[in-house]
Amino acid sequence: MISLQSIAGGKRAVFLLLALLIAALLLLPESRQEPLLALGRHMAAAVSIPLRAIDTVNQGVEGLWTRYIALQGTRAENQALRQELARLQQETVRLRETAAASTRLRDLLELKTRLPYATIAAQVVGRDPSNWYRSIVINKGMRDGLAIDMGVLTPAGVLGRVVKVYDDFAIVLLLIDPNNAVTGLVQRTRDEGIVEGTERGLARIKYLPLLSTVKVGDQVVTSGLAGGFPRGLPIGVITKIERREAELFLSAEIVPDTDFAKIEEVLVVTSPRESAQLPSTPFPLQPLPKRDAGETR
Amino acid sequence: MKVAAYACLVLLVIPVQVVLADRLGIAGVRPDLALVAVCLIGLYRGEVDAVLVGLALGFAQDLFSGAPHWGNLCLKPILGLVAGLAGRSLVNLTWTFVLVLLLALSMFSGTVLYLLKSVTGPGGSFFLAARGIILPEACYDALAGLILLKLIRLWRPPRAPLTALTYE
Repeated sequence: MISLQSIAGGKRAVFLLLALLIAALLLLPESRQEPLLALGRHMAAAVSIPLRAIDTVNQGVEGLWTRYIALQGTRAENQALRQELARLQQETVRLRETAAASTRLRDLLELKTRLPYATIAAQVVGRDPSNWYRSIVINKGMRDGLAIDMGVLTPAGVLGRVVKVYDDFAIVLLLIDPNNAVTGLVQRTRDEGIVEGTERGLARIKYLPLLSTVKVGDQVVTSGLAGGFPRGLPIGVITKIERREAELFLSAEIVPDTDFAKIEEVLVVTSPRESAQLPSTPFPLQPLPKRDAGETR
Repeated sequence: MKVAAYACLVLLVIPVQVVLADRLGIAGVRPDLALVAVCLIGLYRGEVDAVLVGLALGFAQDLFSGAPHWGNLCLKPILGLVAGLAGRSLVNLTWTFVLVLLLALSMFSGTVLYLLKSVTGPGGSFFLAARGIILPEACYDALAGLILLKLIRLWRPPRAPLTALTYE
């Protein structure tokens, strides 16, 4: 008869043998593990079948969870994020607009403080209702002291002159309109002429002396002799000189310094004669990008 | 009621044309909404209404233009009168008729404005003006007129034309 004590002793011996086997296996050199590994491969192959099955089920369940159950709030979250994105995009546009307006207004203010004569800032609110004239509508009028023939400027240079004034609005005929004429002066040679618009949306200085040494690239400024502009305001740069036979004068094509397609704020010169002197710093305030000849319309 | 509606139209068309000019333009050419409005009023409401609205619209248009003359004030009532007289003799207002009428009136208006511009200042070449302004503007006016007519017809479908059979 086997006693309880002997059973306990046998178990102990089995545990001891098992421990020794594990220790032997752990301490077995790698080269001797081949049979064990071969056996393990078969075992692993056998285990891998249910493993893959369970993994497939697990992935399915996980996919179900992540794609359907856990995403229950995602639609709402997505909509909220889209709304937030739209709001932020609007905010970005608004901030960019504010930054651009701030830059423009700073330039305008800088010009206003630097000019030695009285000016009024105005905003462009519209354009000519017809295709025949190049004019703009500004939001200042008689109530603000505006009158016909006053000169209008931008930080880049001469823009045009006031041709109609109402209580709160005024119409400004742009320099590039063929009906407009401003007295101009070639800055280098000091030759005077009349600057008027052309059909192509540019300007031309006429009645320059035939013997003038004017050349392409010369800057044309206002002469201050007539009209609402003081002397020395930039008009544009000469790009082409026209010498025709049997004509007593020269004329030259000018690309204006002002970009007439992008005008938003302007300065109206209300009294050019108060202290007509050249500005202390040269125009324009900032370097202007080069524009093509046909771009100005 | 009618006067108020016309007053609203005058107060609306010119500001739209002045303020939204850049947005309305295609390749730098803008439609003459006042011309389109006057012609449609002539066709739908008769020449008297069109002449009166034409006077008001033309006047407002000239006020906000850099033009040294009152060309639109003179032209718009004439265009309204022509459109009204043309509309009187019609049994049924067709798309083709509106298209041709608007094209013709817009080209006439453009030519007169070119001549006025030439008289009051340097006019430039007529062919350049025709190619660059008169023809594109006429096409644009006709297109705008057709769109407006479509909108009007959606709002108020045209009545069946009166024929001899209608009275029987």
